[in-house]
Amino acid sequence: MGKIIRLALILTIFCVISAGALAFVYLFTEPKIKLNQKLSYDSSVKEVLPQPGKAVSVSPRGYSGPINMMVGVDRSGTVIGIKILNQTETPGLGANVVKTKFLNQFIGKTAKDQIEPKKDIDAITGATISSRAVCKGVKDALEKF
Amino acid sequence: MLWKNFNQGIIKENPVLRLMIGLCPVLAVSNSAMNALGMSVAVAFVLICSNWVVALIRKITPDEIRIPIFIIVISTFVTISDYIMQAFTPDLHHALGVFVPLIVVNCIILGRAEAFAYRNPVLNSILDGAGMSLGFALALISIGVIREVLGAGSVFGIPLFNQAAAATIMILPPGAFITIGILMAFLNKMENKVQ
Repeated sequence: MGKIIRLALILTIFCVISAGALAFVYLFTEPKIKLNQKLSYDSSVKEVLPQPGKAVSVSPRGYSGPINMMVGVDRSGTVIGIKILNQTETPGLGANVVKTKFLNQFIGKTAKDQIEPKKDIDAITGATISSRAVCKGVKDALEKF
Repeated sequence: MLWKNFNQGIIKENPVLRLMIGLCPVLAVSNSAMNALGMSVAVAFVLICSNWVVALIRKITPDEIRIPIFIIVISTFVTISDYIMQAFTPDLHHALGVFVPLIVVNCIILGRAEAFAYRNPVLNSILDGAGMSLGFALALISIGVIREVLGAGSVFGIPLFNQAAAATIMILPPGAFITIGILMAFLNKMENKVQ
């Protein structure tokens, strides 16, 4: 019995030291991490909104997880900018949705336009599901707006 | 003697190509040279620090609870490296994603703590960690460069040739297995020649 208590005590001491070390590092890095997140959010907003309007965040379901994207819509309801913030699509195929050549096709679309891959939008070769997801994201964003 | 501690991990006991441990992150993040380099640096930091601390506390570590203590030490350093990467290299942290926290369960690190640092003095353990890290980095970066060149037509993000001519399969999971297999075969062949 005494042994178990001794072992538990030693383990507790290690945990306390570890927690202390982590708290110390967190204290120093946390403001910088917060700042990075804010900067990256601000620069995304700036990127999708060259003119005044509203930045809409949407996360359509892609081939292997959500595609987090931001769509800039101007006051008349026209897409003026689009950026993929985060995605886990297949490298070399679906991950190509981040390319500007693909994304630029959405600029100028409004809620009245048809946005269908392979018809109105040139889909990424071998990545129909990812392309469709981005189309749906833009549609959702225009609807939300 | 000290030199041998350092030397061993590089080729003779290369963790990836010889001991074949820690393969999960190797397969996952070797799809580009930059990811491979970032992962190597993070693993080196954690491995060297955890070997150092484990060797330092080995005399006061009771045998029965050594594994939980190793895990506490390792996860502390992994979390520290995770915070530091988030603060100073957010793009790299973004690219490596979940594989940074998963360094905790990388068997190279626990393996070295148990097999080496728990039984050896501090300096030897640090050198063992450094050598193993270098071996891991060499293997990971070689795989990363080969896969990125063949699969994306670039190296460290610098385009070498038209991407359309690249074999996409090389940056998909099968490319990782193919590359590791060929490198292992090459290393075995070289060793046979030396003997």
